[in-house]
Amino acid sequence: MFLLVALFAYFSAAYPDTFLTSTNIMNMLTAVSVLWVLAMGMTFVLLTGGADLSVGAIAAIAGILLAKLLGAGLPGGLALILTVVVCGILGGMINGVLIGRLRLSFFLVTLASMTALTGVVYLWTDTQALVVTAPVATQIAIDKIAGVQTPIWIMLATLLVAMYVQARTYFGRDVYAVGGSLTAARLAGIRTSATLVAVYGVSGACAGLAGAIAVGRIGSATPTVDHAVALDAIAAVLLGGTSLFGGTGGVGGTALGVLFIGVLLNGLSIAGVASHWQGVVTGVILVAAVLLGERGIAGGGLGRTWRRLTRHPPNASS
Amino acid sequence: MAGTSYGRRVSVPDISGMAPGRHAGASMPSAEVRAADDDLPRSPVAAPVLEMHGIDKRFGGVHALRGAELTVQRPGVVHGLLGQNGSGKSTLLGILSGQLRPDNGTILLGGTRTVFRSPLDALRSGIAMVVQETAIAKDLSVSENILLGRRLVRSPTGINWRRTHAKALEYLHLLGLDYDPRWPASKLRPDERQLVEIARALSMNARILILDEPTSSLTEDEVVHLFSAVQKLMQQGVSVIFVSHRIADLYSLGHEFTVLRDGKTVAQGPFVSIEPEKLVELMVGRKVASPQPKRANMRASSAPALALQGISVPGVLTSTDLEVGQGEIVGLAGLIGAGRSELLEAIFGIRPVGDGVLSVNGEPYKPGVPEEAIKRGIGYLPPDRKTQGLVLVRSVKENVMQVSTLGRSRLARPNRGEESRVVSQTMSALNIHAESPDVPVNTLSGGNQQKVALGKWLVAEPKVLLLDEPTRGVDVAAKQEIHEHLRRVARGGTALLVSSSETPELLALCDRVVVMFRGRVMGSLIGQQATEASVARLAGGEG
Repeated sequence: MFLLVALFAYFSAAYPDTFLTSTNIMNMLTAVSVLWVLAMGMTFVLLTGGADLSVGAIAAIAGILLAKLLGAGLPGGLALILTVVVCGILGGMINGVLIGRLRLSFFLVTLASMTALTGVVYLWTDTQALVVTAPVATQIAIDKIAGVQTPIWIMLATLLVAMYVQARTYFGRDVYAVGGSLTAARLAGIRTSATLVAVYGVSGACAGLAGAIAVGRIGSATPTVDHAVALDAIAAVLLGGTSLFGGTGGVGGTALGVLFIGVLLNGLSIAGVASHWQGVVTGVILVAAVLLGERGIAGGGLGRTWRRLTRHPPNASS
Repeated sequence: MAGTSYGRRVSVPDISGMAPGRHAGASMPSAEVRAADDDLPRSPVAAPVLEMHGIDKRFGGVHALRGAELTVQRPGVVHGLLGQNGSGKSTLLGILSGQLRPDNGTILLGGTRTVFRSPLDALRSGIAMVVQETAIAKDLSVSENILLGRRLVRSPTGINWRRTHAKALEYLHLLGLDYDPRWPASKLRPDERQLVEIARALSMNARILILDEPTSSLTEDEVVHLFSAVQKLMQQGVSVIFVSHRIADLYSLGHEFTVLRDGKTVAQGPFVSIEPEKLVELMVGRKVASPQPKRANMRASSAPALALQGISVPGVLTSTDLEVGQGEIVGLAGLIGAGRSELLEAIFGIRPVGDGVLSVNGEPYKPGVPEEAIKRGIGYLPPDRKTQGLVLVRSVKENVMQVSTLGRSRLARPNRGEESRVVSQTMSALNIHAESPDVPVNTLSGGNQQKVALGKWLVAEPKVLLLDEPTRGVDVAAKQEIHEHLRRVARGGTALLVSSSETPELLALCDRVVVMFRGRVMGSLIGQQATEASVARLAGGEG
């Protein structure tokens, strides 16, 4: 939290004309909108002690599916909803069932599904990009509602829904329990396989939404899969304080993690840092941020304060 | 001898009561310990092996030790260190093993003032510690585990395995063990691995060996095995500081004791000079009620809460019949491999059942998954709270509410007001000490953790509660509180089936004790019939 504010302050002070403008801020946010949505879903998976490496492939499939549905004449809203749902089912049925019911390793399963789905992407598109001209594409990615671009509203909405599910539903508790100790959760009667199927479904659905936004921003569905986004999303979640082993953390921290990355990348390009160097700088700062977060030198660590506020609102009687 | 007479007065298990010859190779602790006591020569004013004086230690606001004292007079004695959770025991041992630096105070080894800058210093001075979490590399051989690292025997061409194994074997023999040093450590049972750790300590020329709760996860025969190893250590002149909650063990094995309470040493001396009740009083700081007598009459009821007929589990349990009435507390006794835990697992549905019929309150019940068992009103407290009974990283509140909220829709919202009421009721009923209901359970002491694990089931109000080692690794006061609460729960009509390796616990708590041997029920003991000796006899396979 502290680091995020510090970073923001630095860039604001150093480049007041370019950094601290409402246009730039909005651009900064929309630039990480895809990452944000992916990371929201990924948080749930990480909370169970797993990770979903296939989100990049699912997002690509989402883009293609959306393009095809729109091309077939489906109304924009329906096509969008269908895309998200299909991806959710895809994630849940493939990853979720193999990991949750057959108890296979999450690493192997999501790696395998990533590979297989990437293949599907190539087959399905015949390696041709699909241009999307339907209005819903610009609506979702470029247009503004009440002066703020749509993706930002989507980001806010996903965060609020995720926070609610995580902190105010029994499902949220189940996710934390499964991550904290699968054995103990099972012995307490929690339906652990259903929970795992659900989290990978959530991750798939988020990947679907993210893919749709990406198509909107680019204007077409590309026949390529960006495998790196999965790792970027995991990095953002870990940066936000969720434990790699599951059981602790939350989407509040993830939000801060994504914002941090957003501010960093935006600030670096305004500062004129060459794009190749951006990667190096980002990596170094990520490590530094996680280290400082662990040691608490930054006063509580990134996301810890936020997590406390979002996960455990003060009790009436403690 | 004075030692054994104290053994009779309070329900302290008298190991020598077990049929002789059963544990060939393991000596009878009580008699021989006393004899050794008298045999030790009176050395002319030799400096004590170890002295710790005026040890102070603070951790921020917590004053863990206030001028604690510990003295081990002679080599080759077993010194019992007693104290509740929070008494400062772990801190004192942490200082002695070099992991912590005291704020104040002195440590003398053989009369010489010593300062440990690190655990390595302590090791070099001859102090070694074996803790509950086994520090054994499972995939390495026994020899490698004993002679870890530099101490494998080398020759110009590399490691000389033949000589290494021979050397490891020497240390194993010193403890009376016959494991093949070439075996991978994973081949050994957990208690055997612990003995390998002790062999390692010996190989590092430890003169003082600290054993921190070595028996809390052992069965009775494994305990006897450990004791004989400890006696071999005594014969080598190694002093053993033995930390345990099991007073009986300390009495049968120990010579002298130190009691810590609230960071201070409140008593020291030889075991022969004090009675067990007084010892417990000193630990707790007040008079502790002695275990209540078993209830003589049973509530008459229509159908037994739990009934098993011909239940079998392939390879583990043969045709088992058992009944537990409403409000009855039935104990399961027996050695390891007798099938106690397996029986409980089968009833709860986490172990597949071969043949047989089960019924709950007269209605037939087929064990499936835990969720179904819970729906039928069966609860199960697993033996290992850390990996099975609790989600350690989650809060007390979440753990306590876990089972009772199973029936609700997963998308429903927990009712905060109702939950905080239920949780605070549970915490006060079981006397759970925690900063708040929202702290993670891993910040609580062992006894409090166990109470949370138990509380989770009590909130769910089961008809039948299966408990496997309900007070393992729990201090004396918490143990009593748990027992008292279990009795209260039974009075409310819940049927309890309790499996425990501690026979005294079963005798004090249960209305009836069922003894198992090699997957079969050997017999059921009630009232006067139920004694240590009769339980031990049935547990050993005698009819």
